[in-house]
Amino acid sequence: MSHSPSHGSAVPPIKMGLAIPNSKLCLWLFLGTEIMFFTAFIGTYIVLRMGSKGWPTSPDVTHIKVFWGGLNTFVLILSSYFVVVCHEAMNQHNFAKARKFLQMTFALAIVFLGIKSYEYYGKIDHDILPGRIAENDFQAKKKVLSESEKAVSNRLTGLVKQLGGLKVEYAKPEPANDQAKLRAVIQDAVGKLKAASNPALADYEGFVEMDKAFGEMKQMVLAEQATASEVGKKLTELQANAQWGWVFKSVHEPHPILYGNIFASCYFLMTGFHAIHVIVGMILFVIVLKQGSKLDGKWTDFVENSGLYWHFVDLVWIFLFPLLYIL
Amino acid sequence: MHDDHGGHGHPNYFLVFAALCGFTGLSILADVVTLPSYGVKVVVVLAVATSKALCVMSWFMHLKYERAWKYVLLAPTTILALGLPLALMPDIGEHYYTPDVPQVDDYAEAVAHVAEHGGGHAETHAVHPETTTPDSGATTETK
Repeated sequence: MSHSPSHGSAVPPIKMGLAIPNSKLCLWLFLGTEIMFFTAFIGTYIVLRMGSKGWPTSPDVTHIKVFWGGLNTFVLILSSYFVVVCHEAMNQHNFAKARKFLQMTFALAIVFLGIKSYEYYGKIDHDILPGRIAENDFQAKKKVLSESEKAVSNRLTGLVKQLGGLKVEYAKPEPANDQAKLRAVIQDAVGKLKAASNPALADYEGFVEMDKAFGEMKQMVLAEQATASEVGKKLTELQANAQWGWVFKSVHEPHPILYGNIFASCYFLMTGFHAIHVIVGMILFVIVLKQGSKLDGKWTDFVENSGLYWHFVDLVWIFLFPLLYIL
Repeated sequence: MHDDHGGHGHPNYFLVFAALCGFTGLSILADVVTLPSYGVKVVVVLAVATSKALCVMSWFMHLKYERAWKYVLLAPTTILALGLPLALMPDIGEHYYTPDVPQVDDYAEAVAHVAEHGGGHAETHAVHPETTTPDSGATTETK
């Protein structure tokens, strides 16, 4: 703001710049870059989706539930309302009221992230993660096989390690992860445990039985005659075994999702960057809330700018919600 | 609640909030009811989203009351923002060739399977062609 003296003339002083605080102008310039940042992701997603016939949309496949997206939309809209009321209270110098509304905004941001985390948990639980999704029957079968192999191998290593505690002597295989040699150790241990009538024998006998069943499933996959659904049935059979079925609990059912990996990449990129923006907004609110009862008129611009940023975060979600959850 | 006072008052924020909630309900409704076509759904849902965005920008972000700098500042970024999707569109969104990726064949196979055995029994297949866009067509275009 210029304060040039008027020298008593009737000509008003020349006003330079915009009639808004510099901080607000900077924030709007920043939001301009943010528009380009998010449009790049959203635009790329739309273009990729239009170019990929068979893109996954069914909620049963993608595990994207409109209820949670809708609830989060409501949470963000409500928080946007609170932040605008907070700014209004700042303008009226009612700082206690402003703090109250900012606290509610902050609480809603936590709720938003809580719901988002729950949704992420669902994706992770179903292994809907970029680069980990089988896109056709062949890949789905291979995935069951590799996950089962890992589970069996872990169980195998665990049982061999346990032998020391059971006072069963064995020759350490070289290299230590040689699966065939480890299996030979188990076979040998079964005989020794039987001779010593050791109660741990059941675990080792169970492994031999489980390994045989796993071998059958492996054969099914390698022979390339069984469908993914048949391999899935076999997996369920293994998981149902009362003694050793738990070993296969970490193995995912074969559910191929066409374009699943690129879908997951888009989903996590967009919602992830949005969540990071939510966290940044929360940091801005904490800075204000930390002032406690010392909050005064000096903070009005800061609250207004944080509020503008928060509305932008809401705007992004307004477009993410229909694009990811509804269409 | 509050009304405009000679241009310096503030809008009724609660009314804007209520409108935003109504719009959200409308988009969920568009998901629940069966609309004539997928294209209609896209138009309805995106129109609702744009209306919501305009509400937030106009009243919550006060752009309605800001001076002309808003156009100077937002027009270039909006043009640049649209540039990337538009540049990608011909090559990736609207293929003028058949892309050589396995997903294209997998999709064609699943469509053929559904056509042969009827819909609803494709649970072992990666795709559910009945849920995809009608305008996306059942076959891959070749030129």
